Amino acid sequence: MAETPTRWGKTLFWGLLVALLYWGLFHYQDAIVRLAHTTTQSCLVVEDGKEVYYHKPTAEACAAKGGILIEGNRLNVLVPIVVAFVMSYAHGAFTGMFWDSLGLKAAKKK
Amino acid sequence: MELIQFIELDLTGAILLILIGFVGGMVSGFIGSGGAFVLTPAMMTLGAPGIVAVASNICHKFPKALVGAIKRHKYGQVDVKLGLVMGVFAELGMLYGKHVMTGIKDRFGAVGTDLYVSAIFVVVLAIVGSFVYRDYRKLKSHPHGEEHRLTRLAKWVQSVHIPGTMIYFPGAKAKISFLFVAPMGFATGMLASTIAVGGFIGVPAMIYIFGVPALMASATELVIAFVMGLGGTIFYGLEGMVDLRLAMLILLGSLFGIQLGAIGTTYVKDYQVKLTMAVIMLTVLFSRLFYIPGYLSKLKLIEPLPETTVKTLKVAGDGVLALALLLGAITVLTALLRGIAEHRRQHEVLSENQGIAQ
Repeated sequence: MAETPTRWGKTLFWGLLVALLYWGLFHYQDAIVRLAHTTTQSCLVVEDGKEVYYHKPTAEACAAKGGILIEGNRLNVLVPIVVAFVMSYAHGAFTGMFWDSLGLKAAKKK
Repeated sequence: MELIQFIELDLTGAILLILIGFVGGMVSGFIGSGGAFVLTPAMMTLGAPGIVAVASNICHKFPKALVGAIKRHKYGQVDVKLGLVMGVFAELGMLYGKHVMTGIKDRFGAVGTDLYVSAIFVVVLAIVGSFVYRDYRKLKSHPHGEEHRLTRLAKWVQSVHIPGTMIYFPGAKAKISFLFVAPMGFATGMLASTIAVGGFIGVPAMIYIFGVPALMASATELVIAFVMGLGGTIFYGLEGMVDLRLAMLILLGSLFGIQLGAIGTTYVKDYQVKLTMAVIMLTVLFSRLFYIPGYLSKLKLIEPLPETTVKTLKVAGDGVLALALLLGAITVLTALLRGIAEHRRQHEVLSENQGIAQ
């Protein structure tokens, strides 16, 4: 029981880290959505005040919509992979400690 | 030129996704299979096109699968060789499945993929749900379960020797021709790229066709899920279909839920787990079934339905899915709370008895 404060401290640390990661994800969500849509060539159009992306556009079709043709960058695909690994690791560590700190454990014997 | 729209995320949408992830995670931890069969339809219900829902689901799963595989490898439950061999063929299946999906999207638009994903869901859940229900009935009548026994099919598969194709798999404790392993891996990948749940083929194939014990099959599936998930995220990511926000919100709830669900299983009997699994699967099946006429109508494959009918069917589908999620949450939480209360009661009685004895 003496280790409880340390355990809560660790839980809090990982919790704050996870919160920071999620804050970053949503603070920069427009950039993240843009990266996702531009692994391949796409056409950015503003419709009803919102930015939407058309995939596999031709220059003519994009111009007809009044959009901007964006060249794709295949390396953008690394973003979801790296972010998913980092967030999964941090959040996994946090949730494990969270339930443990609350005293919720598996039954030793069924 | 095809419009692929990611859903708009406001606070309500984000909270809903976290809650869905939580329940999906709980169900997943409880029944020991991917919760994607709940999560993909739920994302579609919130407005994500089928192809984006599948891609984002695959992205949220692969790091979890890696962590799970490493943990269970430490317990000696993983047949790494079988996982990798199946994983390689699953990757090919995933690539082919993605090719089919993008082909449908290019030809019929996002609604085409919605229809394809929903139809496959209905068929797969009907088959798997019925099998699980049959398993539940068997387990209930023989509560102590049966020892791991090879099926006749597995005995035959292990007896076939095709020179130059035989590989020894420690999980099955036998040599199996990769000519059997390859199509099963391929089918697993193809299904995963369509509904984000490949385990529905992979796990039963390992148990009933290759003769791998159930515990080892479910752990080995994590290796396959990781290999497939990583590949799937790359393939779909290159098509611009992975919505990282969606994936991470689902992950946020799911990681809380998965541990709760896994803890829940330690307080209940095996057949209760199977019953929960069957009930949720068969309920989700109906939720997707209600959507199909609307998709068929939009694609003009049937006489166009009145807008009100499509809306009513959608509401019915959403309602049934909400019911499935609620059922899952209630079952796991009830099992957990009852189990913990019972555990405490037993602990108190034990302590009292010890006190009297002293």
